[in-house]
Amino acid sequence: MIQFPGPSAALVTLPVPADEAGLLRVLELDLRVRDRLGDLLLETVPAFNRLLVLGDPMDWDRGKVEVALAELAQAALEADPETLFASNLDGARAVVELPACYDPDLAPDLVELAEGAGLTVAEVTALHSWREYVVLATGFAPGFPYLGDVAGELARPRHPSPRPLVPAGSVGIADRRTGVYPSDGPGGWQLVARVPRAWFADPEERVARFQPGSRVRFRPITPAEFEAEGG
Amino acid sequence: MSAGSGSGRAMVRKAGPLLTVQDLGRRAGRRQGLAPGGAMDQRAALWANRLLGNAPRAPVLEVTLGGAELEFASGGIVALTGSGCSARIGGAPAAAWRTHRVAAGDVLSFGFSGEGLRAYVAFPGGLDAPTAFGSASVVLREGLTGALGRALTDGDELAWAGGDEPGLARVPPDHVPVAQAVTDLPLIPGYEWDEFSEEDRETLLNTNWTVDPASDRIAVRLEGPALESGPESLDSTPLVDGTVQVPGDGRPLVFMRDRPTIGGYPKLGSVDRWTGWLRLAPGVRFGSFSPIRTKSWSAFASAPSSLASDGVTYPCRIAAPS
Repeated sequence: MIQFPGPSAALVTLPVPADEAGLLRVLELDLRVRDRLGDLLLETVPAFNRLLVLGDPMDWDRGKVEVALAELAQAALEADPETLFASNLDGARAVVELPACYDPDLAPDLVELAEGAGLTVAEVTALHSWREYVVLATGFAPGFPYLGDVAGELARPRHPSPRPLVPAGSVGIADRRTGVYPSDGPGGWQLVARVPRAWFADPEERVARFQPGSRVRFRPITPAEFEAEGG
Repeated sequence: MSAGSGSGRAMVRKAGPLLTVQDLGRRAGRRQGLAPGGAMDQRAALWANRLLGNAPRAPVLEVTLGGAELEFASGGIVALTGSGCSARIGGAPAAAWRTHRVAAGDVLSFGFSGEGLRAYVAFPGGLDAPTAFGSASVVLREGLTGALGRALTDGDELAWAGGDEPGLARVPPDHVPVAQAVTDLPLIPGYEWDEFSEEDRETLLNTNWTVDPASDRIAVRLEGPALESGPESLDSTPLVDGTVQVPGDGRPLVFMRDRPTIGGYPKLGSVDRWTGWLRLAPGVRFGSFSPIRTKSWSAFASAPSSLASDGVTYPCRIAAPS
């Protein structure tokens, strides 16, 4: 489905689930769109099962864009999964490993989430850090990754009202997504771990670290290791 | 400090409620979650630079709700544009939408006229300001190093490189926005528009919305009847400039320059990004969208010389003072 939500913008929603398989189709579409329409694009924004195409208002030709996007969306949906994987097998698919301390003193929702799930804190730690996640979108704040999907046992809705201040490095869960707050700010996700703040000290680095399609793994560390890495 | 023609310095005597360095914002970075940033009234910022012959993207000052005072350490020419701009230079009223000559020691002060929210000051050659992510604009909520990484405060020093002596100039009168009781916002229906009830869609279009004073550079919040028929749960969707989103309380908001890049609440479409927010009260109406107007402002931003084709000389020169 193609919409035109702004004067020089198009939003393509692919009929795929909002998960890793769906995102790979969206990234495939993204590559094809940039290849075909590059000259009239300002930027593309992939997120979950959608691609937002932002054009230069001076060069925008809605008819031409609509025809091209319809054709490219179809091609991306029909692309061979093998090719799909290969064409995305670049830097964006590198695994980012983040040290994370699953400690109730650093993660105020850890104990309650564990109790609600009928698990111990150690089991929550194991379940959350065992999976490799994929960045399904970035946004909310610069460099904030929406990672999917957490184990079903860990899925919890976000808090009804956000905390006014969540420290940088906090790892949260909202439904089947997990994410890392790259800077201090308000936030409503269930906080289960904390990555040392030093990982988010450099603005350029923290904004660029997670790209849609990047893979992320959390490596559990002890409170002592957390302190040793600068807390 | 280099002594280029027209270079200069000034000190912020009072910053007022909010004084920031802005340009047109970041052209890219939505992909990483960076807000567009940039002047809230892009048209006024463009004109301020245009009056001085500056590049369209040159950094300017954005004065919010008046209250600011600048003391010039050196003389020269500055441009004033925008609304709510009851400015004085050395105590004498200084009109907006034109340039003014200032002398060393002069104080440029802003009152709050109540007619609008934001005024802009441009300096020859543009303000010296470091850039990050391709812009000098400060996005306060991000905590990233924009120009200064923060709003300006009392005692801050400003400097500009200068350029060719521009002479005095004003914006052609028919291009100066006129105070309107109700601001008309051209709406492009989109996103979940079709999933709202007919009744809610009509309410959106037929209501005189009041602008909530809690509005800021992130969003203009509107007060009026609640719209409650949108879809329940959505995955976050990439937003465009001017997206009209309806959060849990049913009161629509319009995302502005420091907006988030994705949003999970139901959305009704977007408004023309070239529509400056000129007035706070009494309100806002959503109207129909005209692509022609957007095109002409875009032309202004990216290719100023093309404007000569519409028969108006930009900007109009004011006779040189004796």
